[in-house]
Formats: sequence, C-alpha cells, structure tokens
Amino acid sequence: MPMDEVAIDHHDAHDHKPGFFTRWLFSTNHKDIGTLYLIFALIAGVVGYTLSGLIRWELAEPGIGVMTQFVAGEGDVAIQNAKHFYNTVITYHGLIMIFFMVMPALIGGFGNWFVPLMIGAPDMAFPRMNNISFWLTVAAFVLACISMTVPGGPGNGFGGGWVLYPPLSSTTGHPGPAMDVLILALHTAGIASILGAINFIVTILNMRAPGMTMHKMPLFAWGVLITAVLLLLSLPVLAAALTMLLTDRNFGSQFFSPAGGGDPVMFQHLFWFFGHPEVYIMILPAFGIISHIVSTFSKKPIFGYLGMAYAMVSIGVIGFVVWAHHMYTVGMDVDLKAYFVAATMVIAVPTGIKIFSWIATMWGGSIDFKVPMLWAIGFIFLFTVGGVTGVVLANAGIDHALHDTYYVVAHFHYVLSLGAVFGLFAGWYYWFEKMFGIKYNGVIGGLHFWLMFIGSNVLFFPQHFLGLQGMPRRYIDYADGFATWHMWSSIGYAITLVATLIFFVGLVEAMIRRRKGEANPWGEGATTLEWTLPSPPPFHQFNELPHVTNKGGH
Amino acid sequence: MAHDEVKHDFHLVNPSPWPLLGSFSVIVTALGGVTFMKGLFGLEAGTWWLLAIGLSMVIWVMFGWWREVIKEGRVGDHTPVVQIGLRYGMILFIASEIMFFVGWFWSFFEFAIFESARVGETWDSANALYADGLSRFAGWPPVGVETFDPFHLPLINTLILLLSGTTVTWAHHALQHNDRSGAKLGLVFTVLLGMVFTLLQAYEYSHAAFTYDGTLYGSAFFMATGFHGAHVVIGTIFLAICLIRLLMGGMSADKHLGFEFAAWYWHFVDVVWLFLFAFVYVVPFLVYGG
Amino acid sequence: MRHLLAALCAAVMASPALAFVPQDGALGFQPAATRIAERIHVFHHFVLIIIVLITLLVLGLLLWIIMRHNRKANPVPKKFSHNTLIEVIWTVVPALILVAIASQSFPNLYYQDVVPNLQQITDKSDKLIADGKTAQQERFAKDYYPEAAEKGFVNVKAQGNQWNWTYTYPDLVDDSGYPLEFVSNPVHVGISADADNYAGATGRTDFASKPRNLGVDYPMVIPEDRFVRYYTAAADVIHSWAVPAFGVKTDAVPGRLNEGWFLVEEPGVYYGQCSELCGVNHAFMPIEVRVVSQAQFDSWAEFMLAGDYEAAYATVDVFASNEQATQFAAKQ
Ligand code: HEA
Ligand code: HEA
Ligand code: CUA
Ligand SMILES: [Cu+2]
Repeated sequence: MPMDEVAIDHHDAHDHKPGFFTRWLFSTNHKDIGTLYLIFALIAGVVGYTLSGLIRWELAEPGIGVMTQFVAGEGDVAIQNAKHFYNTVITYHGLIMIFFMVMPALIGGFGNWFVPLMIGAPDMAFPRMNNISFWLTVAAFVLACISMTVPGGPGNGFGGGWVLYPPLSSTTGHPGPAMDVLILALHTAGIASILGAINFIVTILNMRAPGMTMHKMPLFAWGVLITAVLLLLSLPVLAAALTMLLTDRNFGSQFFSPAGGGDPVMFQHLFWFFGHPEVYIMILPAFGIISHIVSTFSKKPIFGYLGMAYAMVSIGVIGFVVWAHHMYTVGMDVDLKAYFVAATMVIAVPTGIKIFSWIATMWGGSIDFKVPMLWAIGFIFLFTVGGVTGVVLANAGIDHALHDTYYVVAHFHYVLSLGAVFGLFAGWYYWFEKMFGIKYNGVIGGLHFWLMFIGSNVLFFPQHFLGLQGMPRRYIDYADGFATWHMWSSIGYAITLVATLIFFVGLVEAMIRRRKGEANPWGEGATTLEWTLPSPPPFHQFNELPHVTNKGGH
Repeated sequence: MAHDEVKHDFHLVNPSPWPLLGSFSVIVTALGGVTFMKGLFGLEAGTWWLLAIGLSMVIWVMFGWWREVIKEGRVGDHTPVVQIGLRYGMILFIASEIMFFVGWFWSFFEFAIFESARVGETWDSANALYADGLSRFAGWPPVGVETFDPFHLPLINTLILLLSGTTVTWAHHALQHNDRSGAKLGLVFTVLLGMVFTLLQAYEYSHAAFTYDGTLYGSAFFMATGFHGAHVVIGTIFLAICLIRLLMGGMSADKHLGFEFAAWYWHFVDVVWLFLFAFVYVVPFLVYGG
Repeated sequence: MRHLLAALCAAVMASPALAFVPQDGALGFQPAATRIAERIHVFHHFVLIIIVLITLLVLGLLLWIIMRHNRKANPVPKKFSHNTLIEVIWTVVPALILVAIASQSFPNLYYQDVVPNLQQITDKSDKLIADGKTAQQERFAKDYYPEAAEKGFVNVKAQGNQWNWTYTYPDLVDDSGYPLEFVSNPVHVGISADADNYAGATGRTDFASKPRNLGVDYPMVIPEDRFVRYYTAAADVIHSWAVPAFGVKTDAVPGRLNEGWFLVEEPGVYYGQCSELCGVNHAFMPIEVRVVSQAQFDSWAEFMLAGDYEAAYATVDVFASNEQATQFAAKQ
C-alpha cells in the first residue's frame, strides 16, 4: 500500500539491544532469530552443496574413482567402502538440503523476519519458543552430522536414501547406531518445525495489525501460514513412522519387518503422507516471495490476489491426498493408482493459476530488472519446467518407466534447486538491504544469477535424457551409454561452483563496503509494511501498531 | 512521539537461556538414548547414565521454563490478546498430537484390513478373498493371538476415563464460580481416576497373552495403547500441577489458562481412548471372538 | 494424426545403433521391445508435446513482457489487477488439458498394469472374427496377441537378493518336482576382478562382450511371442526389477509377491538394472533377459534342469557378438 496511508511514527525508537551473548544465544527477537536461521541455512547449504559436488565429481565419468579418495583402504577395499560412502553422501545431501537448508532459510529465516513485519506485529506470538525452534534445528543438524560419522552397518553413516525405506533402514540393512541417531535427529528437526508452525499460525491469526484482515494479508504471510498448517499436520505422522522404525530396530516390534508379518510398504505410505506435503512446504513460501518481487518491480499490484491466496490453499489441501504417486511401482492396486494419477494432476490447475497470475502482474508493468527480479523471472520459467515434468510423472503409466531414474532427479531439482532455491536467492536479494542495512553490488548479484541460471540448466536438463534412457538413481557407477550426459551434468556443476563463489564474493564485498541501506530502495512498487521501516528495522518495531487503512497489503 | 514506550498488549519476552539449554539437553538425551540401545562412542549398549543425564536436563529445562511462564502470567504479561494466542497454540498442539495418533491407527488398521494381502498373496487374490465389507477383518487378530475381552477391564477403564472427564469439568465449573474447594476436590478425583486408569492398564499389560516384540498384533496394540498411556500419565501430571498451584493459592476464577489447557488435554486423551476402545478392543474381539 | 506425431517424436527421440543397451548421447527412450513400452512411448510423446507447448507459452509470454513491458518501453505502469474472463480461462483450459491427458493415461495404465486374462482374449478374438469385424480384431490383436494367448503364460519369479537375482520357473520342474531355479550374478561389480572377467578368467569367453555393469553370468531366458507373467519378491531389502526396453518396473518387496506381465516379439538381449536402492552394490545387480525361439527356450530349460548351465547358456548365446546384435538392431 502507499506508505502515507500507514500510520508511521515509530522510526526513531531507541534500540535497547541486549549484550552480544544474550542477544544471539538467548534471543527472543524474531529478526535476530531470523538472521540466525539464515546464517545456519547458509552453513548447512554449503555442506549440502559440497556433498552434491562429491556426487557430480564421482559421476563425471564412468567407473569408481573419486569416492575412493575419501574412504579407508586401498584398491578393491577402497572401492567397496566407496560404494557405501556414495550412498551416504546422496542421503545426507538430500536430507541436509531439505531439512537444514531450504526449510530453515525460507520458513525460519524469511518467515521469522518478514511475517511479523508484513502483518504489522511487534514480534512472533511465542518469542521464546521461537528460539527453541531454532536451537532444536541446530541440535538436529549436529545429530545428523554425528550420525554421518558413526557406524551404520556396511560402513559409517546411513546410506539408504533420504526416504529411509525399511528394511534397508532397519537392522537388516543398517544394524549400526548411525540410523538410530539419524532417526532422533529427524525427530528433533520435526519437533522444531512443529513448534515453529504453531508459532507462525498463532502469530498470523492473532497478531495482525488493526485493519490487516486475512484478505489484505501479504501473500508471503499466506504462503507461510499454509506451509505451517502442512507442517503441523504432516510431521507428526512422520514422527509416528520414525518411532515405529526405531522400536523395530531396538525393541523387537514388527511394524515393517516382513518376517513378523509387518509391511515395509506401510512405511512408504506413512513417509509420503508426510513427504509429499513436505515438497509443497518447501515451495509455498517461495511462491509468496515471488509474488512480492514481481509486483514490486513491475510497479503493479498483484494480479488476482484472492485467486493467488486460495490457489495456495488448494495446493495445500490437495497436497495431502496425492502421496502415493511416489509409490506407483510398489505393487499397488491399479484402481488406487488411477485415483492417485487423477488427484496428482489436479494440482497443476492451482499452480497454473499462480504462474499465469504472475505473468499477468508483470503485464502492462514498468519492469525494473533488478537482481531480485531476475531470480523471480528465472523462478517462474524454471519452476514451470519442473512442474510439467511432474505432470508427466503423475501418470502412473509413464512413471512405471521413469520411476527411480534420473528423470525424477531432474524433475525435483528443477522444482527444488531451480525453484525453491531460486526463490530463496530472490528473497535474499530482495530483502538483503532491509535485513542488514547495507547494499549489495548489483553487478555481482547479476553475475551470480546468470551463472547460476546457465550452470544449473546445464547441470539438470541433461538428466531428463539420462532418465528416459533408463539411468537409475542412486548409482555410483553407470553403464557406458550414460557417460556423455553425466559429463555435461558435472560441467554444469562446475559452472554453479563459480556462481556460488561469486555469491560469497558479493556477500563479502557488501560487508566490507557497508554502503548504507535505505528504508525503501525499490520505490513505489514496494508496498508491504516492512518498507515503511528503516533498514535495518529497529530492534522492536511497531511499538505502536500501524493501522492498515487501504485495500493493499499486497 | 512515543519513543520505545510499548503501546500494544502483546508480550515481548525477555531473552532466555532455556531454549539453548533445552536443545543441548535434547542432544545429550538423543545420544544417551542411542548409547543405551546400541552403544556409541565406545560405550557399551546398556550404558544408562548418559540418557539419565539428558533426561534430567530436559526435565530441569521444562521446570525452569514453565516456572518462568507461570511467573509472567502472574505479573500480568498474559493480557487478553496474549491469552487468545496461548489458546490457539494449545489447540494447534493438540491437533498435531491427533495427527501423531493417526500414525498409530493407520498401522493398526492397515494390519487389520490387509492382513492376508501381505502374507504372500497378490492384491487381486486378497481382494477377491475380502470382497465383502467387515469380513476384511477376518484373519485379524492373527490366529493364535488371544486378545483381551473388551468388556472386562477395558470397559471399566473406559468408564473411569469418562468419569474423570466429568470430574475435570466439575472442577472447572467450580473454579469459574470461585468455589476453590470444589475445584480442588474435582481435581483430586480427576488425578486419582487418572492414576487408577494407569494402574489398571499396567495390570492389564502384565497379563497380556501376547508381547510387544512377538507379534504384529502385539506391536500395533502396545504402540497405540502405550502412547495413549503415556499421554494419560502426562495429562495426570499436568492436572496434578494445576492441583498443586490451586493448593498454593494460584489461579483465579477468571484467569486459569493452565487449568483450561490441562482440561483440554485430558478431553483429548479421553477421546483417543474411545477410538482405541472401539477399534482396538471391541471390533477385533467381535469379529474374531464372536 | 497420432501416428504422425508419434513418428515425428520417434525420429527426434529414438536412438540409432544397438537396440538394447543405453545409447550414449541419446535424448529419449530406449527402443520399445514390447507393446507396453510402445504405448508408453506414444503416450509420453503426446504428453511431451503438450508440456513443451505449455513451457514455450510461458517462456514466450515472459520474453514478450521483458521486451514490451519494461521500464523503458512502458514508463507508466498500468494498475489493473483483475480480469475475471482471463482467470476463468486459465483455470478451465488447463483443466481440460488434464482431462485430455487423463483420457490417454487411464487406458494405458490399465493395459500395462492388469495381467490379462488369456481365456477372455481368445474368446473375444474368436468372437470378433466370427462377427466378421476383422479391422476391429486386428486392432485388438495388436494389443492382446490372441495367438500367443492360446499358448498360456510363461511364469517367472524374480527374487531380489543383496546383490543378485534368483529366477524361478514354477512350471518347469525336474523329475523330483523341483522347479527350475538359478542365481543370476553380475559380471562386473566395479572392482579390479572385473578386468579378469573381461579376460575370461572364469572360463567363459563371452564376458568380454557383455556391456559393462549390465551383463550377468546366467541370464533370465524367455521364449519370443509368449505372454510372460513375472512375479517379484525379495529376500532381504527392497529391490526393483526393471527392463527399460520392456517398459516394466516392479518393486521386489520382502513379504510381498508383486506381479506384472509383458510379451516380447523380437528375440534379443535386453538389459535392465535394479531400480530401488538396496545397499552397497545397488548399482551392480543388473538384469539380463534373453528372448529366444520356443525351441531354444525348451532346450535351454532342459539343460538347466539337468544342471548343465554352460550347455544351457550355449543354446541361448546367439547374440554374443556385436555383429549379431547390430543385425538385430537393424531389424528393429
Ligand atoms: C518443491 C518441491 C516439489 C514440487 C513443487 C513438486 C511438484 C510436483 N510434483 Fe514432484 N517431487 C519432488 C518435489 C516437488 N514436486 C521431489 C523431491 C520428488 C522425489 C522424491 C524422491 O523420490 O526422492 C518428487 C517426485 C515426484 C513424483 C514421483 C516420481 C517417482 O518417484 O517416480 C511425482 C509423480 O507424480 C511428482 C509429481 C509432481 C507434480 C504433479 C507436481 C505439481 O505440483 C507441479 C505443478 C506445476 C505445473 C504443472 C507447472 C505450472 C502449471 C502451468 C503452467 C499450467 C498448465 C499446466 C498443465 C495443464 C500441465 N513428483
Ligand atoms: C532442496 C533440495 C536440494 C538441492 C538444493 C539440491 C542441489 C543439488 N543437487 Fe540434489 N538432491 C536432493 C535435494 C536437493 N539437491 C534430494 C532430496 C536428492 C535425493 C537423495 C536421495 O536419493 O535419497 C538429491 C539427489 C541428487 C542427485 C542424485 C544422486 C543419485 O541419485 O545418485 C544428484 C546428482 O547429480 C544431485 C545433485 C545436486 C546438485 C549438483 C545440486 C546443487 O549443487 C545445485 C546448485 C545449488 C546451489 C548452488 C544452492 C546452494 C545453496 C546455498 C549455498 C545456500 C544459500 C543459503 C542462503 C542464501 C541463506 N542431487
Ligand atoms: Cu537391488 Cu538395488
Ligand atoms: Cu509428491
């Protein structure tokens, strides 16, 4: 909304910041906790990114030659160890990227920073609980890292994929303590996320500023609200499944043990009942971010605001009833498969509404191609590419051929690594000045974008071809016929490596130069409440609540 | 212009060491748990002290944290709008607990309904076998498993829980009308009934003809009823703390959020039990025993 | 029309040369060896065209906007934020597109997923012929092979183990009533002994000609032009039995018996790989299927039952050299 319509009289509030350790270790301030989340996500992202580098390096050419350098033994012993090591690398790559990079950055980081600011709240509803959500996430990450280094079975760490399917994850496949530690790590991450979800929902329902009705609420807050509901309802089911797995492993229960009559496939149902909503958990906040950026830089209000909000609601709802599209090959009844095909494809409709509404928001606009806008436009295109291959996979008849091949890997990296992560970087550049009070160098940011755009396409597009030819997932070594495209994929990785280095150069440059940030660097297009505050905002904002008077907010 | 004078009713909490300590104790507990179960870092399986340290730290943190919350409530930080927030929070927490139980019911139903689809037949033949409704439960509990007669102890337990649901409502009403002794009495009854339920359940467990680790039925049964039992214990402690606070002069007719939450939680535990009673005890018994 | 599109796509997507191993640099599927795979390809190409058009539409709109609605070209932004008609259109049109996809998807799914009832196939075909509906009968025969139906199923069970496959033929029994059962081991597991395999250290000379990471010592063998009903099971953890050229992939789950079917018309060697992460050697439990004539199959079975694996292998080792393989490929 235009700023003059908002009561602003809190700009010069004195900040009473607590001392360093109290401030950062015992924090009850949503902005500080948001910053902590972002720093944590950055560190975890570097770890996950390094692991993906190991994957691409190993797969650059046929044969086993890279992982052997990181394991004990020589010759054939090293090769044997390398095979397990590879499996652990992909497993922790997936888990870290999802649980410790994307979720903490988008929900914990930006959610904490901007949900209260956007709805005109002084802080989160439960500031102290907010802090334990963060520290439990750190605890979970520490546990996950420990689990990587303790005996798993065939070697150190758990190497059964991020989906943790038994019996490979029960004592049959991994008798050692690594899997137990990993289960408890995920329990911890789950508790952290559930507490965070409660916090966001209560904040949004209860703490909106006067006049900020649900239907005026910025779309990022909508995205986080729906994400939080998905977390709240899906994570406990994962917790139950993990608990069953834990007792199967340690107390002799038989839930997933075929020898006792139990059913490994039931784990898959429980896992994906969580796992599918989880993928929307990772994308909905990004949807919200993109909406704001597109509107800001087109200098136009969001097209079809209500449709956008309810499209996200319906994505969330339908997301709960499509989980078994990950399980088309387990031997499900054909009628059941047919149902899941239909339900899954339905999600393309609300997602299409979002894509086209973004385009319509830009239409007739006066677009400024600042760095965040580059990432946002990149997101819209690349997410479409990833989304439509999702529709291909949704058809069980095709998925029988493509399941567990690199086609799936390509699909989900387009929606995650080129979707959620592009949304993440878009948000990062959009709010960087707001959060840290300094300006970044736009040229470096643009270079980061272009290299990343080219690199990640070279990285993941050829994987579609691999998948169609039948290249299975989670293979340390492959038939010679897959060599060319794997090589290209690894070349793409090298390009993203340059891009990522440039990202850090930009970060350091901004920190050294300390160009002072403005309250609103983006001008008339930026209409949400956070732009009414100085950059960075005062330690406690909105000591007097703003009154939202016009129709805006979005 | 106001400087940092706070002009709203929301609760800005002071920095607190509990979250950090809590997370640290979770790490210790998790590693302690794995050490106990599997052995870790050169410690033998069965080493219990690390787990014990972790758990006591968790309890210490919970105690310290909630004591802080109660104090804040007393000094008036819990304004009406904050109370609304706390209520939403508790409702959402219970919602997530319900989803947790969905997991246990899911496994129980899956085992009950698809028993023979799993034991080596294909889907088609299994479907043909169970073409008609309820007889899908046939084969469940697996032959040879002797289940409890739901109309003995389990029925008594059901009545006990239902009764405790009424006594807690009695206590609540009494408190609302500032009848503190009535509230205490109602709570005493509720806590006692909760304890009796737990004792009876323990007695029942010790007489089970099946075990947790022996059979699928045992796994599903003990997991579902066991987690319910754990919630009963937590609920009982929750209510007992409210009782202690009442006895110490805390809570008032118009401000007793802790009590309300304990009561909600107790009702939730109650309802879960009704589902357990119906589907874990009665239905298999009727189908199998009848 | 559909054939035209399919042919067009096939021209773009299909790879030349050897028919049954992954082709370097290929863009699409391995050539289809079953009607199941063929139908998957046709359907996939249909969906592919749709999604490419959608993606190009989005790309085109974005480029148009970038050129026409930027700060320079359009200094004053418009302020509209609603247009009911267009919103209805972009809700309804995608929904219709999805209906179109579904209309192809379901028949395709049921075709591949339901093991056909052979008696019904024969009856229906006979009836069509009797009614003089030859065109219809031909179309029916293309999907359901009435002639093969008369011969019944060849049943095979593939059991996944860490890390090889055990094949069981329940209908082929020896004198004491035991079914034919053998273990199919990979000839490459990524270690230095693989080189010895190339050199033929195990006494077999054909390992050298087997494609790396795809070949096995004793392949699964089935006769051409027969309905094959396969079952999958697992001994330890979950595996998945998959042959890309057949368009089949079925998980092998401990405690379950999954089933599927296919029919291969062309003799040849077909390769697949375990497609569910199953531990250390997941990348090294390939699947090799040899499709041979009924006569070869029968003599193979006889030797196998007699325990003479090498002789049995010799009877099906007709595609050993690359020349034969290429000939076969050319035939496709
Ligand atoms: C951010 C994460 C994310 C998102 C948003 C999605 C979105 C979708 N996904 Fe994806 N998916 C994953 C992450 C994600 N997925 C992951 C991680 C896996 C693998 C897990 C594992 O096994 O490890 C996976 C796997 C996966 C599978 C299983 C594949 C297999 O293992 O065999 C399937 C199958 O149905 C699927 C389908 C879909 C569909 C239909 C969508 C839809 O929501 C997409 C909708 C979007 C569009 C369609 C584009 C925009 C729309 C238009 C422009 C309108 C017009 C379009 C049409 C009419 C088609 N996904
Ligand atoms: C969000 C999720 C995510 C992300 C971002 C990525 C990113 C990448 N992934 Fe990953 N991947 C998964 C999730 C993700 N992946 C999952 C779930 C699996 C399946 C695991 C399994 O099979 O069990 C998988 C599997 C997987 C495979 C298949 C392995 C196999 O099957 O054998 C490969 C192979 O190339 C791969 C490669 C890569 C590469 C090269 C990158 C990247 O290098 C691409 C470039 C990305 C970046 C450069 C982003 C870096 C981000 C930061 C540095 C943080 C920034 C933070 C802030 C600004 C706060 N991944
Ligand atoms: Cu067997 Cu993978
Ligand atoms: Cu999904």
